[in-house]
Amino acid sequence: MLAFELLLQGLVQGSIYALIAVGLTLVYGLLRILHVAHAGLFTLGGYIGVIVTNATGSLLLALLVAMPAMGLLGIGIYRTCYQPLLSRPPYVALIASIGLFIMMEELFRLIFGPYGLSFTAPPLQDTVAVFGVNLKEAELATMIGAVVLIGGLALLTLRTRIGTASRATVTDPKMAEAFGVNIGRIRDINFFVGSALAAAAGVMVALLNNLVEPTMGSVPSYKALAIIVLGGLGDLRGTLIAALALGVIEAYGTIYLGNLLDRDAIAFAFLIAVLMLRPQGLFGRA
Amino acid sequence: MTALLSVKGVTVRFGGVTALEDAGFDLQPGGLLGLLGPNGAGKTTMMRSITGVVAPQAGEVTLEGRVITKLPTHQRVRLGLGLSQQIVRPFRSMSVIDNVTLAAGHAKTLSPLAALGHRHRDAERERARELLQRVGIDEMADSEPSSLPLGMLKRLEVARALALDPKLLLLDEPLAGLNHMEAGRLADTIVALNQDGLSIILIEHNLSEVLRICQRLVVLDNGRNLAAGDPRTVMDDPAVQAAYLGSVAEREEAVHA
Amino acid sequence: MAYEITLLTAMGIAVIFALSLNLITGFCGQISLGHAAFYGIGAYCAAMITKSGLPFPLALAAGFLLAGMIGVVVGLASLRVRHDFLAITTMGVGFLFLGIVRQQDFLGGEMGLSGIPSSGLSKPAFMALVLIIAAAVTAFSLYLKRSWMGYVFDSVADDEDTARMLGIDVARYKLAAFAMGTALAGLAGGLYAHNIRFIDPDSFGFVESITVLAMVVVGGIGSVWGVILAAAVLSVLPLWLQFISDYKLLLYGALLFTVMRFSPNGMAGMVAALKGRSKSTAPGGKA
Repeated sequence: MLAFELLLQGLVQGSIYALIAVGLTLVYGLLRILHVAHAGLFTLGGYIGVIVTNATGSLLLALLVAMPAMGLLGIGIYRTCYQPLLSRPPYVALIASIGLFIMMEELFRLIFGPYGLSFTAPPLQDTVAVFGVNLKEAELATMIGAVVLIGGLALLTLRTRIGTASRATVTDPKMAEAFGVNIGRIRDINFFVGSALAAAAGVMVALLNNLVEPTMGSVPSYKALAIIVLGGLGDLRGTLIAALALGVIEAYGTIYLGNLLDRDAIAFAFLIAVLMLRPQGLFGRA
Repeated sequence: MTALLSVKGVTVRFGGVTALEDAGFDLQPGGLLGLLGPNGAGKTTMMRSITGVVAPQAGEVTLEGRVITKLPTHQRVRLGLGLSQQIVRPFRSMSVIDNVTLAAGHAKTLSPLAALGHRHRDAERERARELLQRVGIDEMADSEPSSLPLGMLKRLEVARALALDPKLLLLDEPLAGLNHMEAGRLADTIVALNQDGLSIILIEHNLSEVLRICQRLVVLDNGRNLAAGDPRTVMDDPAVQAAYLGSVAEREEAVHA
Repeated sequence: MAYEITLLTAMGIAVIFALSLNLITGFCGQISLGHAAFYGIGAYCAAMITKSGLPFPLALAAGFLLAGMIGVVVGLASLRVRHDFLAITTMGVGFLFLGIVRQQDFLGGEMGLSGIPSSGLSKPAFMALVLIIAAAVTAFSLYLKRSWMGYVFDSVADDEDTARMLGIDVARYKLAAFAMGTALAGLAGGLYAHNIRFIDPDSFGFVESITVLAMVVVGGIGSVWGVILAAAVLSVLPLWLQFISDYKLLLYGALLFTVMRFSPNGMAGMVAALKGRSKSTAPGGKA
């Protein structure tokens, strides 16, 4: 029973990682930039979620505000921070992104205070039994939300013209452009979608912990970076599997290795071990 | 006489696509060999199998009788391969002569420790200047690569490869993108290098220059050997004409379209 | 006088630490986001040695060697991965280091190690030692930059595939940079531990890794004097201006972002531009 409970806990955590990592993968696939500041949008999404819910009492409304708002901010970040740096060596954009992320975290701290915010009336806190295991509604909602959002994204990518154009751009930007794909628009859309998913993840984490705090983005962000590496950089399917796998490994690892390493160290030990054995990532091709 | 470079039965697959199948050829010391074939025939994959950028699933590459199939690129270079890539890639943060000087210092860059122990670069700079003269761009020695036209960058690639004192020079489409006059001049330089005893493999689309300068041709088509021999015999081969010339006609149509 | 000595000692240690990252990131173009871990390894190693009663010089040497050895192991692992992965792997090493130290009772765990013995030197003498080492590391950096190794590093930072085409064993050079850089970070860590005489995991966390990266980036990637200046200024700024300390990270973040966005060659690049040599030779110039 414990094993099954750990599996579910791992999948909940993995769903959060997946929602964050998808945006990073989209950006990496298109621009070869490690978009560290992505986690800032995750955090801000969480804040908006809490603030709007507290003001209106509607969690759904909060999601509907946070997602598009962060989507637009994502486009803004692309246009003002990354686009001018595309012709530079990759580390330039990476360091700029780290700087931006640290600035965002500090601004959250200065604006919203260092101790974070909570829901005045936390929604979805009842427990439900799933196959004999007690889960919080929020945990169930996180898993379902992740499946719906990522499933929707997969459908968009596979079934729509924009999805096809986006995949073509990832494979060969010049060729896609030659076929009339508007690359700038594809990049905007990817930033919008990825950032909106990160905002959704932020709201979900706020629900799970009943807390948003300035630095809540750091650790998930670094893990999401590790996940996209494990998933073979830019590969959506690999990213999803790696995210869920990491969530589950952490859940088990914390129980069995907890007195040796903490949760975050377990995640990175796993990352480093995998990279030593498979430098191209779990699912990447050599 | 043993071959300088021998490629036997090389097969390369990318996913489901077979880029090369049981392809091979020999190059005798002192030879100037042209590697031809229509687009997608596998020429560049062949070059990359020789340089070690691509790992073949089957087959063997030997340099002076030594199997190099498993060696990484830098070790193959140390054994005597000099490479000039299809797409020019100068170090853009260095001047033209610094690009060549670094290559000329190959003895000093063999290991980090040796490199740390040496500071002077006058001799290598001198050698680099000679080579820039040799390929005709010595006036540009102190320029930044970014400010040079493609024709000069192609020459820089050749000078940099020569600075490694190679036994075998591999040139991947050195003439592509050059105008008629530039191409002719660089081709003449290549012939002169060969006459000085350097063995050269030339991958080239520019058929007229290849026919003019190469002593031997190898033609690939769909990843397989199609023909090999002296230029006249090869070009008279109906199979070559069908595969290669047909494709050239298409290419020219594409250019004019 | 005591205050100036404290400042100069802190500056000197920061300069050694920043120059150690400059070897990896500045000269060789490899981004490390976990450099503070090696600073920490040196600090913990040296502290444990003097705590067990062995002499201070031995402790410094051990911190230097252990950090360098672990650096080589990490390098062997991370240098197999593609260029962009290195940043993430080194970041992972940073978190792994913290995770391990926090769980080890003999290293003081979360609470840190206190009661680290004195180096046996007076404060001015300790400062002199730090400054002499900083000067030696500066001289070494300047020499390295002009040597063939620096030349090769330039090429690796610029385009490693092309460097391979020139017969350069890129992995070995990166490993050499990693070994030297992490060992020197360990040395700086040993000095830090015996200067403050108290260390805890948070002194070597991600913030410290970013701080040292900011020093290298703001100074001008690869520029020895620029990095020294940036390390000196950024290390004492929070001490001088108390009100800054609350905004320290905001300042570092803003500096990283602004410098990369508007002048990727840092202060050295700006100076070069002012002198009219806008065609800087730093590897960050163009690509």
